Amino acid sequence: MAKILMKGNEAIAEAAIRAGCQAYFGYPITPQTELLEYMSRRMVELGRVFLQAESELSAINMVYGAACAGARVMTSTSSPGFSLMQEGISYIVCSEVPAVVINVMRGGPGLGNIQPAQGDYFQMTKGGGHGDYNVIVLAPTTLQEAIDLTILAFDLADKYRSLVTIIADGMIGQIMEPVELPEIEPPQRPEQPWALTGAKGREKNIITSLYLGGLPLEKVNLRLQETLEEIKGNEVRYAEYMLEGAEIVVVAYGTAGRIAQTAIKEAREEGIPAGLFRPITMFPFPYDRLDEVAKGVEHLLVFELNAGQMLEDVHLATRDRLPIHFYGKMGGVVPSPAEVLAEIEKIASPQRGER
Amino acid sequence: MAKGTILIDEDRCKGCELCTTVCPFGLVHIANHFNAKGYRPSTLVDPEGKCTGCTLCARICPDVAITVYREGV
Repeated sequence: MAKILMKGNEAIAEAAIRAGCQAYFGYPITPQTELLEYMSRRMVELGRVFLQAESELSAINMVYGAACAGARVMTSTSSPGFSLMQEGISYIVCSEVPAVVINVMRGGPGLGNIQPAQGDYFQMTKGGGHGDYNVIVLAPTTLQEAIDLTILAFDLADKYRSLVTIIADGMIGQIMEPVELPEIEPPQRPEQPWALTGAKGREKNIITSLYLGGLPLEKVNLRLQETLEEIKGNEVRYAEYMLEGAEIVVVAYGTAGRIAQTAIKEAREEGIPAGLFRPITMFPFPYDRLDEVAKGVEHLLVFELNAGQMLEDVHLATRDRLPIHFYGKMGGVVPSPAEVLAEIEKIASPQRGER
Repeated sequence: MAKGTILIDEDRCKGCELCTTVCPFGLVHIANHFNAKGYRPSTLVDPEGKCTGCTLCARICPDVAITVYREGV
């Protein structure tokens, strides 16, 4: 298959179209806007639904409605817009309908800026909205991975009747890279006997997130938790790079993972035994595998474009059995591989750094 | 040396600064204002008319935002 040059936002949009996305609802926000723009053109050409909502609140509730009707549906946004969507996301999860949300993160908090950041990690992996829930969170590092994970997101959403998110950032959204777009046959979707398709000739379906009285809601919660356990058992994904003989392992995801990979290659050239552990599913987080990896190494260096959010999961995974260092940049500042390499060097040569 | 100039489609620019790194005369800079998307676009600062229209900035631009004009081609 021929490779073509695409921008991240457009590649994700085209991947969603090929995955059979039937309806897109969104509201423009940099650095994600090209995704919506691409959809506005292509979805209409294909006779599918594109609608620019009046706000992110509206967009996520349109997604909710289309999902209830059984459509393959998505929205995309960037950090402040993702915050606005939390109520709708909580409703979608409680209603157990499939949907995909792309978050091309920017610097925060507040309106922040439009540079790449990973400050939404807590919000995305720990629930985000009200109530007891988590959603699957997929973290691409390259545009090819962004395409593959977008397609996967739709299938996982169907499989678990839940919401699946892509945790991307302004770098993934804006860079251009050669990618291969898979040709997909009409997607195989599971039966949807629950969908609201008109009750003529059958019992009526009710989709709701309102369960008055204690016991019915407890039952829903227990079912949601059961699904989450199933997800934790089946869907953990990660990538490993140069872990053989590694004494210092960098833990990083998304754009940070990519920067770390270059830094590790350079560290190896200097004779420093460094490696990379890169979670691909941020939820479910690869606790067990990271724990295993940490058993054979001396130091972990967590690198994120935030103040240290995944860091907490790394502490949990390893139960602090080894020194865990952290390097992070906030507010949309993206460090170069040389800056990450300097952190690795500090750990490798204690006389140069604090340790 | 040929005389040239460039035209930057500001609203296509994402301020990645690649063009500023390749100009042999250091004529391409990041502007102080913002474009419609909120990025600071690149801009040509060439009061002495040094631009030769060599096209390096346009070739490296990932978003095809730069058009190059060269005299007498």
